Amino acid sequence: MIENAWLIPLFPLVAFILLIAFGRRLKESSAWLGILFTLGAFLLSVMTLFERLRLDHSASVVVDWLQIGDHLITMGYEITPLNALMLFIVSLVSLLVHIYSRGYMDGDDRISVFYAYLALFTFSMLGLVIAPNLLQVYIFWELVGVCSFLLVGFYFYKPEAKRAARKAFIMTRIGDVGLFVAMSLLFWQVGSFELAAIFTAVENNELSAGLITLTAILIFVAAIGKSGQFPLHTWLPDAMEGPTPVSALIHAATMVAAGVYLVAVMFPLFEASPAAMNTVAYVGGFTAIFAASIALVQNDIKRVLAYSTVSQLGYMMLALGAAGYVAGTFHLMTHAFFKALLFLAAGSVIHALHKQNIQEMGGLSARMKWTAALFFVGCLSIAGIPPFSGFFSKEEILLTVWQDGRAGLFIVAVFTAFLTAFYMFRLFFLVFSGESRSRDMNQVKESPSVMMFPMLILGILAVGSGFVHTHWFGTFLGDWLISGPASTYGAQAHSETWILILALVVSLLGIGLAYLMYAKRTWDHRALAERLPLAYRVLYNKYYVDEAYRYTFVSGLRGLGIFLNFFDRYVVEGVLRLIHGIMTGIGTVGAKIQNGQVQVYGITMVCGLVILIIGFIMAGGYLR
Amino acid sequence: MTSVPLNAYLIVAAILFCIGLYGALTKRNAVIVLLSIELMLNAVNINFIAFARFGLYPGMIGQVFTVFTISIAAVGAAVGIAILIALYRNRGTVNIDEMDLLKR
Amino acid sequence: MIDAYLLTLLVFSPLLGIIALLFVQREQANVLKTIGIVATLLPFVLSLVLFITFDFGEQGFQFVHQMPWIEFVIAEDLALDIHYELGADGLSVALILLTTIVTTLAALASLYIKQRLKEYFILFLILEIGMLGVFTAKNLLLFFIFFELTVIPLFFLIAIAGYIHREKAAISFLIYNGIGSAVMLIAFAVMFMYTGTVHIDALAEAFAHPDWSTAFKTGLFLALLFAFGVKLPIFPLHSWMLKVHVQAHPAVVMIHSGILLKLGAYGLIRLGLGIFPEQVAQLSFLIAILGVLNILYGAVLAFVQEDLKMVMAYSSVSHMGIVLLGIAALNDSGLQGAIFQTISHGLISALLFFIIGMIYERTQTSMIADLGGLAKSMPITSGVFLAAALANLGLPGMSGFISEFMSFLGLFGAYPWVAAVGVLGIILTAVYLLRAILNTTFGPAKEKWSELIDAKGFEVLPLAVLLGLIILIGVYPSILGDTIHGSVDYIVQSLTARTGG
Repeated sequence: MIENAWLIPLFPLVAFILLIAFGRRLKESSAWLGILFTLGAFLLSVMTLFERLRLDHSASVVVDWLQIGDHLITMGYEITPLNALMLFIVSLVSLLVHIYSRGYMDGDDRISVFYAYLALFTFSMLGLVIAPNLLQVYIFWELVGVCSFLLVGFYFYKPEAKRAARKAFIMTRIGDVGLFVAMSLLFWQVGSFELAAIFTAVENNELSAGLITLTAILIFVAAIGKSGQFPLHTWLPDAMEGPTPVSALIHAATMVAAGVYLVAVMFPLFEASPAAMNTVAYVGGFTAIFAASIALVQNDIKRVLAYSTVSQLGYMMLALGAAGYVAGTFHLMTHAFFKALLFLAAGSVIHALHKQNIQEMGGLSARMKWTAALFFVGCLSIAGIPPFSGFFSKEEILLTVWQDGRAGLFIVAVFTAFLTAFYMFRLFFLVFSGESRSRDMNQVKESPSVMMFPMLILGILAVGSGFVHTHWFGTFLGDWLISGPASTYGAQAHSETWILILALVVSLLGIGLAYLMYAKRTWDHRALAERLPLAYRVLYNKYYVDEAYRYTFVSGLRGLGIFLNFFDRYVVEGVLRLIHGIMTGIGTVGAKIQNGQVQVYGITMVCGLVILIIGFIMAGGYLR
Repeated sequence: MTSVPLNAYLIVAAILFCIGLYGALTKRNAVIVLLSIELMLNAVNINFIAFARFGLYPGMIGQVFTVFTISIAAVGAAVGIAILIALYRNRGTVNIDEMDLLKR
Repeated sequence: MIDAYLLTLLVFSPLLGIIALLFVQREQANVLKTIGIVATLLPFVLSLVLFITFDFGEQGFQFVHQMPWIEFVIAEDLALDIHYELGADGLSVALILLTTIVTTLAALASLYIKQRLKEYFILFLILEIGMLGVFTAKNLLLFFIFFELTVIPLFFLIAIAGYIHREKAAISFLIYNGIGSAVMLIAFAVMFMYTGTVHIDALAEAFAHPDWSTAFKTGLFLALLFAFGVKLPIFPLHSWMLKVHVQAHPAVVMIHSGILLKLGAYGLIRLGLGIFPEQVAQLSFLIAILGVLNILYGAVLAFVQEDLKMVMAYSSVSHMGIVLLGIAALNDSGLQGAIFQTISHGLISALLFFIIGMIYERTQTSMIADLGGLAKSMPITSGVFLAAALANLGLPGMSGFISEFMSFLGLFGAYPWVAAVGVLGIILTAVYLLRAILNTTFGPAKEKWSELIDAKGFEVLPLAVLLGLIILIGVYPSILGDTIHGSVDYIVQSLTARTGG
């Protein structure tokens, strides 16, 4: 199957074309068309994954795409362990979200458009994760961005959706430019876009250290944009304006993780530059704790999850920056499962309640047992309680960071783990436990089984997927991942019991604190907010980053534009007016000489001729 | 045949041209102005033929051009007279002083 | 046998339509429209024949049609001997195809025009002769004649069919282009005076001789840069084209923005790079700076415009900057990017202005603030509009990306720092285009626009054809790459040979 892996992205592409062409006629059944084709892609991905598990070399095929001078640019695919894993994750989550959306989007008259966009996204994402060269990465990188844009703006008639879509596109594009520049610079140094060629050049010391650092950081800028890292994180929470299945698929499990994937794919390049590794680690670490602190006080269920996503992605970056190739990738996988689960469960709540403010929820566990149970599983997993999957991946990250030797980052990571446990359980208790805080709770009922089924699958994965890489039974995943094509993937972490216990204790502390504040109400959280009004307000307003951008970049650009508009209208066009004025002036003078008498004109002409002839004679012939 | 020198032709042409020019610029009757213009064209024709015979590259080209000029001049005169008649019908005069439509 | 006459037939085939139109009374609007559209199909079919029979493996000109035209002995040592000669290489073929396609679609868009149809279509077809002629002319005299043959009909087209201030726009157009043409004519005349030939290849050979003083050649090149810079346009010579974009009828703007701006690019590549490669190399830094200036200036200004047409006009300024970047890069990638951008922007801007025309036809406005929520009542149009905008901002899978990518890639090879500043334009393009498009099609649907009719009838064809081509080039760029490959190679080879790498 591995030779035909290029078929995998084609399935959703065909679905997209069919849906665009015939979607209006298919109406509701377009959902099944989308699901069917995604299922095809998923089955192929599974087969590819199993085949790749047995192989010990990467499969790759390329075809010619474009000739630039002597350079032939190719397109193709490559199945490294990382790619095979990503194929599996993406097609699985995508399939589940396709199924889930059948219930969530039921009754929407643009459901065929929705499925078309989903299919296009799945195509782009699958294309991204099998790309063997930077150009192809860039192409699909942009395509997933535009799909995200389209899906965030799916409810196009809502002004917030419009703004969020635009913001998502532009913020990620700022990052994309980094990749574009890095790609161009590397092309002129290496002479190829192929990842393998770039790594070979790095290995053979053909590139200067400065160039490696520069390109690595530029590539990281792209990852910052896509993965919502500080300072380009603000689009991700706003992107929650899109339909919830989209948030689960794109803004939790797959596309935002593409930034992490990109750093992982380019790992040999990053590893060659300590400065770049430092940047990745510190940006990741800072984002992790920064976003977690914002998530503490948000009231929109999806926004809390969004900030949690930002924070977890920061965690993965931190792991990669600490040379934890396996840790970062592992957490990417487990996070994809449990965060998709959390979003789908949140979607289930929203679907039932039609509201998103957690202060107006509460007591839902009685009416939505399955959703509550699955959400609880997701919370336990993200908080890092054994034996849930998040525990293993988070422990792996902590081990890596500790063994990498930057104590500050380790403390940040541990503290973030505490905050994560706290805000996730704050969310859980506010939504599901206690008394209902809104009146119309009687109509609330559990979501249909077409929505529950995908959540159940994800729930099982959130529990079980951690066992593929543990220090108790064996580090299968890690061993397999580092058997990839590059020569080195950093060191594998080894187990240390005290870190394991520390992580567990910290998580339990967070859960306990949340329990006391939001479930048992021993301490009133409102009193705390009143005691620290400034801190509360800063956190609630997300550190005023949006406002800062609005008053600097947006206003700055507009101001510059208005200034240049005046410049254009009065200075540049002034040239035209000047010419026009001179012509008019000459014309006015000339008009006075004209009196309409042909003979006067004739005399004038003759006088002119005489003057010319005299001049000609005086000059003595041709003016040579 | 070559007894008459080039200068003689040129002087005749120049005189003819000056007469035509004088007439075209001073006479008030438009018909006379048109006739004067014909005179000037004829002066040019004489020059053409003279140079065709005595010029640097003697040949038939000058004479060919003269034939062209004569026919064009005829056309020109015809059109000119036609315009003149139209004007006369409209304004009742062929006095050139009163024709200052170009100004407007 | 037909081979020799194919280009002549192609270039003058619109004449048939003109003659037919002359025999139709001006009241018969439908007949005029039918003839006008059918007449543009003939060159289109011929250009397809050209494309199919063309041998893209070869570098030089093919289908050369040559015959004596003006022979004149001025003095014994100086003879005026100008041939009528047309020829096409890959670059010409690509641009000819662009011309015939966009012209046919613009003729369709002309169906919106209601008055003075007879003059309109006659001028329209003369314009097509001019454009096709420029792309095939093999000597400067023909080039100039055809070039002027585009200026004069366009002047009238702007003035006949357009909006309130169309006369002003037409005059502004004429002043700038008149000055540009004058400078070009002077440059041509000087070149002829000193070399005694107007044949482009012969001139290239003549100026390859090392005896010419650099200042002389630089002067000539600067004159050409100015002349074509007006057309392209290069900042600060752009203000005429803004007026034309805003005031002319969308069908005319489709031609103008789609093809006529490209005459500037074509001239710079064919004459600038073809005859004076040393000067281009010497001034490439300046050209790169001009290009970046164009990109950023256009982008920032497009951001604050209130009128959709103005946004697209400044967007054209910005995108023509990319052509300059590609030329300044002086390598395969950059040059190929510049040509791709020429073609791609032709398709994209034709599509954008067609859609703006459609919207204007229905709403009588193109002000961003008046529109909004159009996606509700016109989903297909809005979808294509969004797709066109995405193509314009360089989304992969669309033609805009390929051209942007290759131009910038080329410039990164030559002037990394200038390119690094220029890529800011990629962000700004996204900013202003999304602002314009989203405020038009997204957002709450306004009451008064709820009854608008989506694309129907003849309107579907331009949308489908243009978008299809944009995606085709984006997904499979070799289809265009192979067409122009020979020309690009040839130019780069002669460049390397004459500038020493």
